[in-house]
Amino acid sequence: MSEALAAVGTAGTDSSVPAVSGARQFWRRLRAQRAALGAAAVVALLVLVALAAPLLTALEGQDPTTYHPALVDSARGGVPIGSFGGIGADHWLGVEPQTGRDMFARLVYGARVSLGVALAATMIQVAIGVAAGVAAALGNRWVDQLLSRATDVIVSMPLMIMALALLAIVPSSFPRPVLVTLVIGLIGWGTIAKIVRAQTLSLKGLDYVSAARLSGWGTWRVARRELLPGLAAPVITYAALLVPTNISVEAALSFLGVGVKPPTPSWGQMLTAADVWYQAAPQYLLLPAGALFVTVLALTVLGDGVRTALDPRAASRLRVGTGRKDAAAQKGAAQDTAAQDSAAQESAATGKEASA
Amino acid sequence: MRQPSVIARRVAAASVSLVVAAGAAACGPEDSDAKGSGGDSAPHKGGTLTVLNSQPQTDFDPARLYTSGGGNVPSLVFRTLTTRNRESGEAGAKVVPDLATDTGRPNKDATVWTYTLKKGLKYEDGTPITSADIKYGIERSFAPELSGGAPYLRDWLVGAADYQGPYKDKKGLSAIETPDSRTIVFHLNKPEGEFPYLATQTQFTPVPKSKDTGTEYEAHPVSSGPYKVVKNENDGEHLVLERNPHWSAATDAERKAYPDTIDVRSGLDSSVINQRLSASQGADAAAVTTDTNLGPAELAKVTGDKKLAARVGTGHFGYTNYLAFNPKVKPFDNPKVRQAVAYAIDRSSVVNAAGGSALAEPATTFLPNQKSFGHTPYDPFPAGASGNPAKAKELLAQAGYKNGLSITLTHSNEKDFETSPEIATAVQDALKKAGITVKLQGLEDNDYRDKIHSVQDEPGLFLAHWGADWPSGGPFLAPIFDGRQIVKDGANFNTGQLNDKSVNDEIDAINKLTDLDAAAQRWGALDKKIGDKALVVPLFHPVYKRLYGSAVKNVVISDWTGVLDVSQVAVK
Repeated sequence: MSEALAAVGTAGTDSSVPAVSGARQFWRRLRAQRAALGAAAVVALLVLVALAAPLLTALEGQDPTTYHPALVDSARGGVPIGSFGGIGADHWLGVEPQTGRDMFARLVYGARVSLGVALAATMIQVAIGVAAGVAAALGNRWVDQLLSRATDVIVSMPLMIMALALLAIVPSSFPRPVLVTLVIGLIGWGTIAKIVRAQTLSLKGLDYVSAARLSGWGTWRVARRELLPGLAAPVITYAALLVPTNISVEAALSFLGVGVKPPTPSWGQMLTAADVWYQAAPQYLLLPAGALFVTVLALTVLGDGVRTALDPRAASRLRVGTGRKDAAAQKGAAQDTAAQDSAAQESAATGKEASA
Repeated sequence: MRQPSVIARRVAAASVSLVVAAGAAACGPEDSDAKGSGGDSAPHKGGTLTVLNSQPQTDFDPARLYTSGGGNVPSLVFRTLTTRNRESGEAGAKVVPDLATDTGRPNKDATVWTYTLKKGLKYEDGTPITSADIKYGIERSFAPELSGGAPYLRDWLVGAADYQGPYKDKKGLSAIETPDSRTIVFHLNKPEGEFPYLATQTQFTPVPKSKDTGTEYEAHPVSSGPYKVVKNENDGEHLVLERNPHWSAATDAERKAYPDTIDVRSGLDSSVINQRLSASQGADAAAVTTDTNLGPAELAKVTGDKKLAARVGTGHFGYTNYLAFNPKVKPFDNPKVRQAVAYAIDRSSVVNAAGGSALAEPATTFLPNQKSFGHTPYDPFPAGASGNPAKAKELLAQAGYKNGLSITLTHSNEKDFETSPEIATAVQDALKKAGITVKLQGLEDNDYRDKIHSVQDEPGLFLAHWGADWPSGGPFLAPIFDGRQIVKDGANFNTGQLNDKSVNDEIDAINKLTDLDAAAQRWGALDKKIGDKALVVPLFHPVYKRLYGSAVKNVVISDWTGVLDVSQVAVK
């Protein structure tokens, strides 16, 4: 955790320079990383699939909730009839054991829940985290103390246990995907608030910010015009890393039975139902597990790429912008960096799980 | 007031949570279960039988156990006045004498029951068993600190309603007389032709007053059966039973008691139990389970392996899963709406959700599909295997819902495959075809139980189940449909809130019958009559599939318990 934080922190400090050419430079640096580009393509495809779920299932001629009792072998516990879980022209990825519901339709509708909840929760986390971090850094001693302690409390609370408790007490009439989004969003903003507060404090001392304040701008205007652009890099970086975490949390909550409710499909829920079937109908487990794996991997690689692109130290190693040949020559170095980064990331992730 | 037996619920819950699956539909109870898999199939004495269970044998005191027919492991230690017939299938649903010479001699209106004990009955210490000990055993089950048993004795015995047990009230229960050491007479406050069934429960076990240690008794209850307790760790988690030398097979026609030692290990995960039984290595070859079913996925795996499939026992237990209506809630006050739901049900998808045709049989009757319950096949609203949405729509139109209807189905979030989301979504999908939009209301299990058993909060439509304390129509129909059993402020089980004089009168009339076969027929007829009212939509009766170790012989599974009887198993 601390390593990732430090990396995000430095990424922010050093890249807090001119914002205008920054965007173009960022894209150039991101484009130079093949893994990140591939991951971006995968993420784009997943988003597209999720958005087009009704179209895709209409194309297949199925929907995610209709039962097909004739497609499963009732005498054998409801295992799908046919090879590979009943894959065929009518059911592209076969059917679910016991119910005969279409797996493809459930997977693509499940993508909507996974991605939708994760993205919306990330937005909530970023909004609260930035607001709390900036307010703490710019407010007086009391405001800072209050917000920082509140942040400490939120960070120290295990996300999964808090979420389990909250989801268990809210009445079931409350729309479940919205609730899961809110719970993840409202619990997981602590780290981002800490990063933003530290970053804002260091920006506050920089000459251009002092100049703006001396010229008589109010706190709000300084924050909006001078500080927020400087915060963009660390926030985007951290947000990119939060999305896959949130996907895993949603899947875990659904797996534990407190996430979205049936018949709404979600990958985590499919995993719960499938865990006993791993021997008799392996594809039932492998499909949602694979979808989850690919999504989290792609988002993590993309988040990593974003970080590398925003981190001037890594960028200097990439030597992007000094000519294509150089970039090619440095590819090996870039891969090393990526490997190191992802290792750091892994240890960060492990730390997080352990704390949860 | 009566609840579905704890055992029944546990058994069923275990069956589902385990969810595995073993035998094909073809292995009926007779063919696959009657024989063991060893080369020499004749059972011999000796060896150690291991029982691998998920539920521990907690409170191993005859006063505190809530059993159907005396239980499985408890019945090895505790003999009772009567017991269940230890035979496979339908014959096993009969009640037979155990300590007594017959199943009871009633007076004319079945309010006085007299039993005579066999000669030569002894405890594990060689002292004789007397009728006074049986009376004392029953009395101590009334002590508040030894609660846990079924409530029937308190309801039925004259003057027992407020009795607090022999520790507080030394005079004892005057409703039980012991004119001599071998005779015991019970006085009931109303006719109960099914008293012999009640006498199978462990509360009818003799307890010597001099050896009674109150709540400590469960650590070492004095055995009247073929085995005595030599070790009881962690409140029944690990129980070791060894032969009781003073038990005589000459006085016990039911228990075979082949193994020398029974080693009961509980607290195991259901998948671990099934894994160990299928591997059948070392001591597990001589192992059985009395509470863990194969689930659908396990069944799918086991059926692919002939050798494993041969080691699966199939059992039936009197149990029904159903949809319940509360006719006090609109639109279910309209019988046409209730009938429409009954016609729309797709039992094949519900059965699949419950584990497939090997683990559940479609139900159209409230009574379980067994002769001892008086099962009379009927189907007042024939939906076929997969529902009749056209007929359902027609009825809805007549009821004034031409453009469909939106209703809420309440269920539990417990993952038991009975009242759980899996069954609810199957119902939801079937009703959709009939133009009925179902909103699912999943409740936390305790909340769900509170709601469905409260007259004030009872939802309009919910998933429910009912199990029998003994295989007869009485404990199945009376608590659910007897109008005098509607409990206004407390746990109410008459969820349809039916109070029909002709139904109440018929229940009273059948309770007077002491010819159990004749009574069964009348229960079946009454079930059909109530079925026409569409207060419930029967969904399925569960079937139990249980693996047993490769060295296990003489497998007997009765329709009473649905599980392999440990008193019959041989491991040599």
